[in-house]
Amino acid sequence: MTSSTERRPQRRRTTQVIAVAGSRTLYHTVMIVLSLIYIVPLAWMVMSSFKTKREIFDSPFALPAEPDFSTWGKAWERGDLGGYILNSVIVTAAAVTIILLCALAAAYAFSRFEFRFKTLLLAPFILGLLLPVQSYLTAQSRIFDSVYLLNTRWVLMISYAGLGLSLAVFLLKGYLDTMPKEIFEAARVDGAGDFRTLVQIVLPLMAPGISTVAVFSVLSAWNEFLLAMLYVQDDSLRTIPAGLLAFTGRHATDYPMLFAALSLVTLPVIAVYTVFHKQVIAGVTEGSVQ
Amino acid sequence: MKPTRPWSPYLLVAPAILVFGFVVLIPAIANTFLSFASWSGTDAIQFVGLENYFRAFRDEIYLMAYRNTFVYILLTLVLEVVVGLLLAGLVTMAGRRTTFYRVAFFVPVTLPMIVIAILWSFVYSDDIGLINSGLRASGLDSLTRVWLGDPNTALLAVSVVSGWIYAGFYMAIFYAALQRIPKHLIEAAVLDGASQWRVFFSIKVPMIRPMIEVAVLLCITGAFQSFDLFYVMTNGGPDHATEIITTYLVEVVFRYRDLGYGAALSTIMTVVVVAIALVLVKMRTKGGSNDIEY
Repeated sequence: MTSSTERRPQRRRTTQVIAVAGSRTLYHTVMIVLSLIYIVPLAWMVMSSFKTKREIFDSPFALPAEPDFSTWGKAWERGDLGGYILNSVIVTAAAVTIILLCALAAAYAFSRFEFRFKTLLLAPFILGLLLPVQSYLTAQSRIFDSVYLLNTRWVLMISYAGLGLSLAVFLLKGYLDTMPKEIFEAARVDGAGDFRTLVQIVLPLMAPGISTVAVFSVLSAWNEFLLAMLYVQDDSLRTIPAGLLAFTGRHATDYPMLFAALSLVTLPVIAVYTVFHKQVIAGVTEGSVQ
Repeated sequence: MKPTRPWSPYLLVAPAILVFGFVVLIPAIANTFLSFASWSGTDAIQFVGLENYFRAFRDEIYLMAYRNTFVYILLTLVLEVVVGLLLAGLVTMAGRRTTFYRVAFFVPVTLPMIVIAILWSFVYSDDIGLINSGLRASGLDSLTRVWLGDPNTALLAVSVVSGWIYAGFYMAIFYAALQRIPKHLIEAAVLDGASQWRVFFSIKVPMIRPMIEVAVLLCITGAFQSFDLFYVMTNGGPDHATEIITTYLVEVVFRYRDLGYGAALSTIMTVVVVAIALVLVKMRTKGGSNDIEY
């Protein structure tokens, strides 16, 4: 009796260990297969960029026989990828700076002060959260045309700033609402005015909120395509998404070069994402779920 | 709190209002007016009343675009939200050491959608594509087809890419919600001998219901606005089989230069999107699902 009760848990533990080890192997097998669905297309893209056109047709899954590294340089030069990347950097940096400055100031006012037209001024931003850009695109394109903004870098900077503002104002207002009001009262007692409080108190305390909004805004400006294609025709002003599509059209059949161009714009993004994945995932998901 | 100077709140709000007004608000108002007019952008604007709206309801391509958009919504609800939920379940199951998987599943969300669209056009391509090559290599030649050129498969093919991108996104938001469930609630069920999947579907999923409802809302409103994948992969073809509201809208405005009609089409779309969003939000609050307390 005693011996059997002692032995039983022992035996159970052994079988459990085996079961757990077995299910762990099964688990990781399933997960690796799922990850392959994500990795294979990207790996195929990079691999194909080192192949000859013939190899891409004949042996799609094989490694390149003699990797041709010159294709990347060719794609970089012929595609003027450097130019597209520079445009994307300029447009994104400007748009995100405008978003952060305007949204922080507005969120601070909406969250901390009572003033007469507060509800009236806040309402449009709520509307902006609901309206898809397509719902006012027609009129927007004519307005931008009439003030000679089309075909400049300005049009994308201003558009992305305007499109990103609604969400940024709400996220930052949300963060500010949770801050204890004693902080602001103490600053007031110490003689800080409204603007000094913004710069010296709000700005440093809001770092986490600001970085969430920044990640979210950077990604949406960097990846935006519809307006980038419609509002900028001059190839030297194009950002990466629209530029890459034009590049694809021009070199429709030079597969190695197309794959090289795709790899060239993809790999740096994946590298940055791998390093900052925590912040990126938090920024994108928090931004969308609000 | 009262501002130290009465005008300072207005000064703080002014830059945001100016930019937002110029980019969103004024165009949105102007667009509504434009929808009652006929205009090519260069000739004189002609007021035509509700004509554009009557025309929209007789426009077979526009109606087809709605049908396709709704089919696309159903497909993405499964391929993005349901798959995302299952991925989140798998990722939480192991406890630790899942960072690699979570990072891998999320990668496509960070990439420009155009890059993904071009890449997947190659994946689907008839001659060099991964899918047809894979099928041929495994002797399944009969299953190969021109995925994006066949009206029967094109919409599904684009939806699959959409799932490839966003399943990881929904996984991430579900994962975050699942992490917030207190451990003791799950431990009780595990002690009672419930299996991992049982715990997931009977306890964890009901507990994150509010987040699932948000995801459904995001997925539906996002599907209405999708454009990039369709434009690059099929541009509405073959024979309008993948024509969605936004691809048709861009065609009407920027190719046919039919600005008043385009404005009407987008106004109808706005009404539909806002109505659906309101119904969903109302259903959420009625369901009382926000009352869950841990």
